[in-house]
Amino acid sequence: MVVTGATSGIGRAATAALAARGAHVLGVGRSLERCADAEQAIREIAPDATVSFLLADLASQGQIRDLAGAIVEHVADQGGGKLDVLVNNAGTVSSWYTATEDGYELTFAVNHLAAFLLTHELLPLLAAAPAARVVTVGSASHRRTRIHWSDIMLRRGYHVLRAYKQSKLANVLFSAEFNRRVARTSPVRAYVADPGLVNTEIGLKGTQGLARMVWGRRRLDGVAPIDGAKTVVFLATDSSVEGSEHLYWKDCRPLQPSRYALREDEAARLWELSARLCGMEA
Amino acid sequence: MKSYVLVTGATGGLGKAFVAECASRGWDLCLTDLREHALEALAAGTERMYNVHVLTRAGDLTDAASREALWRYVHDSGTRFHMLINVAGTDFEGGFVDRHLEELRTILRLNIEGTVEMTHRVLAYRDRTRPLRIINVSSLAGFYPMPLKAVYAASKRFLLDFSVALNQELRAGDVTVTALCPAGMPTTPDCVQKIQAQGLMGQMTTMNVGKVAHETINAALAGRSIVVPGWVNQIISSLGDLLPAPVVAAVIERRWRRARASLTPGGARPLAVRAPESV
Repeated sequence: MVVTGATSGIGRAATAALAARGAHVLGVGRSLERCADAEQAIREIAPDATVSFLLADLASQGQIRDLAGAIVEHVADQGGGKLDVLVNNAGTVSSWYTATEDGYELTFAVNHLAAFLLTHELLPLLAAAPAARVVTVGSASHRRTRIHWSDIMLRRGYHVLRAYKQSKLANVLFSAEFNRRVARTSPVRAYVADPGLVNTEIGLKGTQGLARMVWGRRRLDGVAPIDGAKTVVFLATDSSVEGSEHLYWKDCRPLQPSRYALREDEAARLWELSARLCGMEA
Repeated sequence: MKSYVLVTGATGGLGKAFVAECASRGWDLCLTDLREHALEALAAGTERMYNVHVLTRAGDLTDAASREALWRYVHDSGTRFHMLINVAGTDFEGGFVDRHLEELRTILRLNIEGTVEMTHRVLAYRDRTRPLRIINVSSLAGFYPMPLKAVYAASKRFLLDFSVALNQELRAGDVTVTALCPAGMPTTPDCVQKIQAQGLMGQMTTMNVGKVAHETINAALAGRSIVVPGWVNQIISSLGDLLPAPVVAAVIERRWRRARASLTPGGARPLAVRAPESV
C-alpha cells in the first residue's frame, strides 16, 4: 500500500494503522526529517510493521514521476509487482496564490493534479492486483462550490477557501470519472474518504491572519487524526467494500456527495484538462 | 513572423505569474532565468495549459558574457519581441556593513545593469508591426530611502525614474515603459514568513501575485508609467512625496528593525561591524 502525505495528520495515522494491521506500507513525505520521525513513531507502536518512506514534493510533476519510478522498483522487489491500495491523502492550503514549478496553482496541483498523475503512473501496479483500491481523502468542503472554468488556477480571483473547496470537489469528480473510465476495464476502484473535521495542521501550513486564526480555533473541535483516518483505513482494508458501487464514504458508511460532484460532463472535462496538464495526451 | 514576450527572472514567484498571465492571453513566450531545469518545467507546464509556444534560455544576467550569449541566440534565431518584462532582481539580508561587497555588486549588476541592457537591446529586436511594451519591476521601496535596504531601494528608485523617463522619451516611437512598484509578495514560504513578521501592515500591503500580473499587463497595454497594486500601497507610495526624506527614512528604519527582531527569537541583533574587504 502507498500513502501520500504520510508524515502528519490523517496520513500519518492511516499509515500507522495500516502498518499495524500487517500491511506493507510505503509512506510518502516531503522532508527527510519528518519521514524518519514518522517511521520511528510507527515502529514504536508496531515493532513488526513493514513500513518505509519515500521522499517527494507532490507540487512537482517531475518529482511525482520520479516517485512513481521508485515505487515501481520497490513494489517489483517486495510486492510481486502488485499494489493493492493507493491512498491519495497529501493536501495543502495556501492563503495566497502560489505557482508550482510547472506553473500551476499550488492547491490545485498538490490536492488534485498530484493524485491524478500518481494514480495514472501507478495504474499498471494497481491493475496487476486482484482488486486494488484508490482511496482519495476528500472533504465536505467539496459541497457548495464549482470548478471555476474561466480561471481554474484562480490567478485573478484567488481565495484560500475557494482554492481548497475546488480542489476537494476535483477529488470527487476525479474518483467518479476514474470508475467510469478505468474501473470498467481493470479491477481497480476509486473511493473518496471524508474524514470529517480533524484536528490537523493543514490549515496552518501556508496561511496567515484570519484564515489561520479561524482554523486554529476550529481544529480544536475536530477529532484526533486517528479517528479521522478510520474511514481511510476502512476503505483500504475492509472486505465489505469490495465490489461496492458507493463512491463517497464518511464514518465508514456510504454518503451522498454533492450533485455537482456526480455530474458526468464536468468530470469528463476535468479529466481531459488534468490529462493535458500532466502531459498525458495521446 | 512569430513575435514573443521576453520575461527575465521567469521562474520566480512574480515571474511565473507574468508567464501565466501572458500565456493566458495567447502570447508566445521567451523565458530566461538562472536555472535551466526550472525553466524547462515551467515551459512544459505553460505550453500544456495555454497552448502557446515557449522558448527558454538559461543565463546569468549579472554576467556580460551570458547576456551577450542570450542576445546572440536572439539574433541568430531571428526572434522578435512585442513585450519585455524585466522581473529579474535581487536583494540580500542584512544592513549595509553586514553585506559582502560582492553581494552589493550583484544587486547593482542585476537590478540596474541587467535591466538597462535588456531594455536597450530589445529595441533592436522588436516586432515592428506592433507597439513594444516594456515592464520593469521596481518596488514600493523605490519611493523612498530605505535604511537596511539602502542599495536595493536605491536600485529600485533607479528603475522607477529610468522607466518614467523612458516612457516619455520613447512614446513617439510606439514604445511604452511601465514601472511596477509592488509591496512584498507572498511568492515563497520565506516571503510569507517575512510578511507575517510585519504584522497587520504586512498583510494589508500584500497582494495576490496573479492579480498583480493581470493588472500590470493591462496597465502596460494602456501605456501607463507607474503601477502600484493595491490602495493601501498607493497611499504608502504617496507618503514619500508628502514627508521629508529623512523623516521617512527614520520611520522605515524603526519598522524594519522591529520586523527583523520578530523574525529572530533572540530579539534584535546589534549590527556587527565587519572589517572592510579588500577591493
